[in-house]
Amino acid sequence: MSLDSHFDRQIIDLVASGVSGKFKKVKITGATNLQKELGMDSIGMLALVFRFEELFGIDMAQMGVDVNIAKLKTVDDLIQAGRDILSKAQAVGAH
Amino acid sequence: MKIIDCHCHVASEEHIPMSFVEGSVANMAAALSAQGLPSRTKKLTAMFMNKMQDPLGDALVQEMDDAGISKSILLIADFSYALKDCKLTIAESFTRHREVLRRHPGKFEVFGGVDPRWGKDGLTLFERSLTEFGFRGFKIYPPCGFNPSDAALFPYYELCAYHQVPVLAHIGPTSPVLDFSISSPFLLDDAARRFPSVNFILAHGAVSFVEECVMMCRFRPNVYLDISGYQATLGYDPSAMAVKQILSQGINHKVLFGTDFPVFRLQGEQKDFLQPLLRENGALEDLSDREKSMVLHENVERLLETAVSVAAA
Repeated sequence: MSLDSHFDRQIIDLVASGVSGKFKKVKITGATNLQKELGMDSIGMLALVFRFEELFGIDMAQMGVDVNIAKLKTVDDLIQAGRDILSKAQAVGAH
Repeated sequence: MKIIDCHCHVASEEHIPMSFVEGSVANMAAALSAQGLPSRTKKLTAMFMNKMQDPLGDALVQEMDDAGISKSILLIADFSYALKDCKLTIAESFTRHREVLRRHPGKFEVFGGVDPRWGKDGLTLFERSLTEFGFRGFKIYPPCGFNPSDAALFPYYELCAYHQVPVLAHIGPTSPVLDFSISSPFLLDDAARRFPSVNFILAHGAVSFVEECVMMCRFRPNVYLDISGYQATLGYDPSAMAVKQILSQGINHKVLFGTDFPVFRLQGEQKDFLQPLLRENGALEDLSDREKSMVLHENVERLLETAVSVAAA
């Protein structure tokens, strides 16, 4: 498993941990729509962001990163945003 | 198809005090805390406030264009009597909204709101808003601490009757810093009966006191409802069945489309909120083209043209 696919798996597991009710039966792929197919509302999205911070030990506010959760439509969007954030975190840490 | 959003606000802390926002954030924090996430009230407040930086309405116009919404009604809720941390007086808030109206010709209408406890000054301001500022309606926010059928509001309703403009009343719960106990639609019934030539819109009627709102719409010729706030249900109901349910009650001539921008900006953009209504299997799917037109624009256009309902005329 490559580093990238490992990261994707972590994000998919993170998403899956926040899905409830009838949406638990949905097979989650990169193209899965967070709201329409997984029932993620704003609270669900905020929980995802905060769990992402916990998982990777970062604080986006301290990094000066603003994630626009309204723009995150699919799991792939989330994966890409996660990659961008971690790249910034590494850049901040390197200084 | 033409779309008019009958329920929006200018996204700025100039018009919505921090105490109101912090109260709303407290509910989010409670939901997250129950999921085992430590309290992040400060961070949540910052994220919400990031979405409240549009005092001139430019971002809203962009979102409207992206969504195909041709016009939105901006509502001024007067929190300035009930909450003492408002940045502007209500008169200043009216002036700012007038600037937004002028900045975006044809994109907005404004309904001014005044807490009736401001007395004669408030009434004068409201009348000026209709005669000088070009505002087109009256917005009331009973959870600030007044009954929508209080006699102190009658002079306002008389002005609405004279100028033939509608009244939009907040219905249901709101920020926990305000009083939910006076948010029932039935409290508006006395006013609706006393002022049959004034049309009243029950805000959030698809999600708060739904049965009562439908009842009022069915039996009071001058009572309507808007569906704003339906986005709160999209988490467990992505097809907006709550809206579909309202649209199967025989009152589609009384139902108005609305979003309550910017309340749900953390959840998505205006175009995202139209999809559950308009897509295949969406909430409006079973409506005839005629009914869709009514809900999406004709009903509110009729109210803006004349406040006198057919039954009351």
